[in-house]
Amino acid sequence: MDKPLYVGIDLGTTNSAAAVFDGEQVSVIRNAQGATVTPSVVRLDKQGRITVGTRARRFVEQDPANTAAEFKRLMGTEKAIEFPAAGITRKPEELSAEVLKALRQDIHDQLGVPIERAVISVPALFELPQSAATSEAARLAGFQRVELLQEPIASALAAGWRADDDGAGTWLVFDLGGGTFDASLLETRDGLLRVVGHDGDNFLGGRDFDWAITEHLASRLSVVPRRNNPDHQAALRALRLAAEDAKIELSRGEKAQVALAQPLSIDGQDVDVDLELTRGTVEQLCAPLVDRALDVCVRLLSAHGLAPGRVGKVVLVGGPTVMPMVRSRVAARLETQIAEGHDPMTLVAQGAALYAATAGLDGRAAQVAVPAGRQVWLQYPAVSADLTPHVVGKFVGDNPPAKIKLVRGDGAWSSPEATVGPDGTFLTSVTLLPRRACTFAIEARGAGGEVVNVTPPAITIVQGLTIGDPPLSRTLGVALANGHVQVYLERGAPLPARRTFTHHTVETVAKGSSESILRIPIVQGEMTQADLCRLVGTLDIGGDSIKDTVPTGSAVEVTIELDRGGRLAARALIPAIGQVFEHVAHLLVPDAAPEALDAALRDLRRQLMELRADAFRHGLGHVIEKLDRLEARMSEAERDIDAAHGGDADAAQRARRALLDIDGTMADADLAKKWPELDNEARRVAISASSTVGLHGTDAERSLLQEVLAAMDKARKEKDAAELERQMRLASRLSGAAFNRTPEAWELYFEDAASEISRCTDLPKANRLVTEGKAALDRGDTTELRRVVKALWALLPEDSEARRKAYDSGVR
Amino acid sequence: MHELKLEDNPFFVLGIAADASRIEIEREAQKLLGMLELGFVDAQTYPTPLGPRPRTAELVRAAVAALRDPYRRLVAELWARHAPPAKPAEPPPPASTAGTPGLRDKLGWGR
Repeated sequence: MDKPLYVGIDLGTTNSAAAVFDGEQVSVIRNAQGATVTPSVVRLDKQGRITVGTRARRFVEQDPANTAAEFKRLMGTEKAIEFPAAGITRKPEELSAEVLKALRQDIHDQLGVPIERAVISVPALFELPQSAATSEAARLAGFQRVELLQEPIASALAAGWRADDDGAGTWLVFDLGGGTFDASLLETRDGLLRVVGHDGDNFLGGRDFDWAITEHLASRLSVVPRRNNPDHQAALRALRLAAEDAKIELSRGEKAQVALAQPLSIDGQDVDVDLELTRGTVEQLCAPLVDRALDVCVRLLSAHGLAPGRVGKVVLVGGPTVMPMVRSRVAARLETQIAEGHDPMTLVAQGAALYAATAGLDGRAAQVAVPAGRQVWLQYPAVSADLTPHVVGKFVGDNPPAKIKLVRGDGAWSSPEATVGPDGTFLTSVTLLPRRACTFAIEARGAGGEVVNVTPPAITIVQGLTIGDPPLSRTLGVALANGHVQVYLERGAPLPARRTFTHHTVETVAKGSSESILRIPIVQGEMTQADLCRLVGTLDIGGDSIKDTVPTGSAVEVTIELDRGGRLAARALIPAIGQVFEHVAHLLVPDAAPEALDAALRDLRRQLMELRADAFRHGLGHVIEKLDRLEARMSEAERDIDAAHGGDADAAQRARRALLDIDGTMADADLAKKWPELDNEARRVAISASSTVGLHGTDAERSLLQEVLAAMDKARKEKDAAELERQMRLASRLSGAAFNRTPEAWELYFEDAASEISRCTDLPKANRLVTEGKAALDRGDTTELRRVVKALWALLPEDSEARRKAYDSGVR
Repeated sequence: MHELKLEDNPFFVLGIAADASRIEIEREAQKLLGMLELGFVDAQTYPTPLGPRPRTAELVRAAVAALRDPYRRLVAELWARHAPPAKPAEPPPPASTAGTPGLRDKLGWGR
């Protein structure tokens, strides 16, 4: 097969799918049963034989103990899934690997080509341990290289690829999957796709629809099974599968009969199930869930200044969106049309395949070709929105050809002859045909005009919609000993990414002592306080691994690197001892014991009551509203904790994440409670920044401050405490930058630092620095004074409570 | 507003004018990434008002991502338009083979 094969895989919670793009057409891969989706279900029988997909799904009811489903939600946790018949356990990534192996085999069977590289989609808000587990699953499935892409971006790319040229504008992807809901606001212009914004609910999906129907059916039985009773789980499982089938049937018909061949055994009694279910009942049960998803969409639009009716179209993705009620409710509430002609079940896989082309990730096994001419390394976009992209090249070896030309396959266009430099490099551009794959032959000539054969002899570039590098879904940083976070890579940063910062140690690390450890915690999240972010890895430097003692205040250069497969690498260089440390302990998503969840929920409820009492006392209506929403979410979490007591590990993880999110929102509400003080502080910051920047700032700083002051004004009007705090920080930074240019700034900083000398961790050194600072002051040497002040700051200790909350960080 | 560092301004990193179109930005970035990958010397630094700075693939990717966001582009444009002209690189020292061997050292150069 000559054409490239770009492979995309949607590794879903409930179902998975694969698609390939050959540069012109996207095709969805069919499995052995001829279906385009494969259930993400794995069964291990007593001989240890593995069954995947539709055949395994049949055993979910008959042999649930040895059949695993929805393990994607446990990715990145240490939860081992037991298969008692075979007497073995498997990790969630090992089960995902079985699904990937099956899909890889289906591609091979359909196309006759072994596949080694692919793009796999992951939920937009996957945490790093979950992404890393997905990459590990791909490795176990035999893939040599994979890149991960967020699901909403994949579906947007697939939907946008097929849009007409006049499809430019703003649109929304409504992705209701098995376990999560994602809403993405997108914009296409000049053939470039841009994700304007994203919102979602990690705890809303098709399975909530199924549970709503299951609980309704259960309530109509003569003996009602309960989710918190481990003995009722088998009955609930059977009922849930029947509910899921009935829901699908009711997408087409008005009535469905829910009848089970075998009676359910509940509390020792046989309970027959033969119930009629109407579309109206299902719609009534599911409508509040659809409305919850629509609330998220309206919130997303409003955050970008858009009202319903201002979105060009909505693309529906995910199994539950097949329900007619979902389509009509979405169209009515968002006052827009639904984009037709997309398969909601395979759109994500198709988008992942298109992205594989953008990333130049040909899925075929690498072939070792014998060069048939002068070898040239080429750099060009495999997919380009630009009609005239550049081609950059370099010939291998000495005496390269003198000229090079690219000739389009249709013979209607060829590039001007480009000169090859003495080092073998050249730069040229090609002209593409809109929305087509164009092949260009490479023609080279020597100094005497003789033809030189080149390897590769041709390249192919597809013209079409493109998207930039996949963005980082959550901000990544290092927790500092003062409880704050030093952001390394911001949310939205293009991947792969790498960044270095210099920190300083807050205490001495003694050579040879195994108890003396310098800990650098790596966290992920949007909060500025470390304890509100998730710990995703630590870089520990023990006293027993260092060549020499590292004193307090020593510089540590930390580099954090993240690739497109969710793999995190961190490196710390301690220049004082000339050593580099690289071993990062990657953490798992923590276990969620039901008892611990109970305790956390109790604690959050207590905090909520206190906050509400305070909010009433101060008459803060907007805070009360926020707290009411939190209370509703706590009730949902309580239901999941109930199910966790019944042995549902998936529900336990949902509850854990819900409680973490509630905790974060509560911190916001706490901030909002302090509104009057914050408002006053904002006025003070605005006055001070205006005066400092007005006197000492540059023109650009003055223009920028105007923008920040306008944003502060907007945040004050909207009583958005978090945004106001963010803008205040920016104003203070501008003000600080202007003030630091004045000579008196460092005099004041010095006086302030010198007054705290008694608190310094190394008093003799601090005394020495103060003496040096005084001398610098007398000389009027600002550069030296600045160095002294920074050194003094490094000697001031951190609060031990803040440090504990910052995961025992040893750096500032 | 992610960055306030003048020398990291996306327009300087990509070496393009503040009024460049979206396609021009993407085209230039794609060219620079290719040149960096193949080790083109010309691509390895870029001029800024504070003097030449090393250009890396990470900086180029971050610059394109910043300019795709209308608000971040506005801020970058503002800084780029108000910035003083780019400072040229230090002129290379005269070839040491020229003139009397050791004379430069005697005159106190090259320290």
